[in-house]
Amino acid sequence: MKLDNNFWTTVKKKYSIYLILVGLFIVCSLANPNFLSVNNLTNISRQLSVTTILALGATMLIISGMLDLSSGSVLALAGVFAVSTYKATGSLLLAVAVGIFTGIICNVINALMISTFKAPPFIATLAMLTVARGAALLYTEGQNILQLGNFVELGQGSIGVIPIPIIFLVAIAILTWYLLNHTPFGRSLYAVGGNEEAAIASGINVHRVKYKVFIINGIFVGIAGVLFMSRVNAGLPNGAINYEFTALTAAIIGGTSFSGGIGTVGGTLAGAFIVGFLDNIMNLNNVDSYMQQIVRGTIIALAVIYDIRSRNRRANSMLGKVEDQGAAKK
Amino acid sequence: MKKKLLSLVSLLLVGTLLAGCSSGKPAAPAPNDSASGEKTYKVAYIARAQSDSFAAWLANSVKEEATKYPNIKLEVFDGQANDDKENSMIENAITNKFDLIIVQPNSGESQRPYVEKVVQSGIFAITTNARISGIPGASSVDAQPYEQAAVNARAALTQIPQNAKVVVLKGPSGNFHADERRASWQKEFFDKRPDVKIVGEQIANWNKDEAMKYMEDWVQANDKIDAVIAMNDNMAAGALEVVKGNAKYTNMLAYGVDGTAEALFLIKEGRMTSTCLQNANELAEKMLDASNKLLTGAEKEINTDIGNPLVNKDNVDQYIEILKKSGTIK
Repeated sequence: MKLDNNFWTTVKKKYSIYLILVGLFIVCSLANPNFLSVNNLTNISRQLSVTTILALGATMLIISGMLDLSSGSVLALAGVFAVSTYKATGSLLLAVAVGIFTGIICNVINALMISTFKAPPFIATLAMLTVARGAALLYTEGQNILQLGNFVELGQGSIGVIPIPIIFLVAIAILTWYLLNHTPFGRSLYAVGGNEEAAIASGINVHRVKYKVFIINGIFVGIAGVLFMSRVNAGLPNGAINYEFTALTAAIIGGTSFSGGIGTVGGTLAGAFIVGFLDNIMNLNNVDSYMQQIVRGTIIALAVIYDIRSRNRRANSMLGKVEDQGAAKK
Repeated sequence: MKKKLLSLVSLLLVGTLLAGCSSGKPAAPAPNDSASGEKTYKVAYIARAQSDSFAAWLANSVKEEATKYPNIKLEVFDGQANDDKENSMIENAITNKFDLIIVQPNSGESQRPYVEKVVQSGIFAITTNARISGIPGASSVDAQPYEQAAVNARAALTQIPQNAKVVVLKGPSGNFHADERRASWQKEFFDKRPDVKIVGEQIANWNKDEAMKYMEDWVQANDKIDAVIAMNDNMAAGALEVVKGNAKYTNMLAYGVDGTAEALFLIKEGRMTSTCLQNANELAEKMLDASNKLLTGAEKEINTDIGNPLVNKDNVDQYIEILKKSGTIK
């Protein structure tokens, strides 16, 4: 019996965010019979693909103590460049390459401002947000690029029954998980975010780590830009506005700590799906727009409070154990 | 070394920006002094937000139209969808002694006292898209948002089947055009057709991607949707993107406003029912004509509207030709 209690306490402490996700999933299933349909669940995943790819980049950045407010704007810039490339050449591969290249360039500039010139990440990426959006609008003269032909296959097509954006999301999630958990680079991200001075003292090239993490973020943002434009079947220079905040929300709900050094891919995916399930169930039940905003904000706040309290309880219990062991030794 | 590098980069950036601003063009003639000796007038066009695709189209058309008036020197400013910024720009234009100031308000009432200041300063004022009415001495050139929706709504009275299920996509709350168009649909259609049921109504902020997300959810929640009623073409196009190729929705009706290139092509393909053309070129022509008449003393106050033509499958070719001739469709 005690073992059972301990088991559930451990599950609750360690996997609180997943419990919230499962709880929400059950509530949504009961709230609307259409929620559980395969089509609806596929739709949710497809809708979440772009912002979750951004969220995975954001997770790596936040773990290392960085931040990217420019991802929505850079996504739009990369997307319109990719669309133009496709229209000019008809080559999907080249279009994707241009999108990724644009994402990388913008993020190298972010890294240059932050790591080389020591600008605060908030300010540096805020500047990039404005510059990239301005560049996208300037390039398109504020107009949508239309008639994309087969470019839409990437965002709207499927391989078998699985939509292509979901395949990209899964591949990027696995890559991020692998990088964070099974490479020295991943460990150095946690080290830099946890304590930069200590990371430097332990011989980590912090400068290089920051450039690398921004370049990886740039690749993700570039891919997200291509998928986004392909999904909406247009080059939208004013598309994806505020997507950076949706991405940050997913990462933070998923337990990524703004103070750096803490965060997981699983948590971010759970965070993204919590927001996605909420939006979906409210639309399925035709909840009023204004009410949706209130409900969304409230549930996000409650989820975070619950998660923080679980963590604090975990930390206290660990502290208690250490003290008990210390007393026993005496 | 780093300081020197920073200084060098800063100098290069400033130099490039300055060179870019001058861009090799000869210096503009001083105000009130053209080469021919004819008096030139300084006109400020303060756009709502050049990130909004219609506002960008309008700003481009105004710039283009101004080149036809050698006595008018036009400067365009971007209010960035921010009342405070737009109001500051109006104040700056007064300080800089422009001869005429055209304001495309972000939200009419916020700009009203500033447009009143323009008139009090002895400067001509024109408000446009949407007009701020009731300012003595100020002129206006506009389309009528109520009528733009009403031409669609009146046609829909006979097109939308009995006991139909419809979804409504709205513009941002508090936006004059968004609110007027929705009010028009209510009065001209929904009040007269109580049999029609709204199964989904959300604010998609004029955006195609947001409209797609809502439509994807509505398609799951409802066994049928007979019509999409959108307050602009971008959102109608987003809803249509979702049901593209789905045989169940072949006969679904879709209404919008603006007459964007995308909407005209959708109408031609038979996928969209109708839109109302809000012709930015026509607005620009009337604005510059009114400016010229006011500045040369031919008139003291002008209040005029452009037409609200309904574009449907019967006349769409004619409007595609108009937009091709104006360069809006390339």
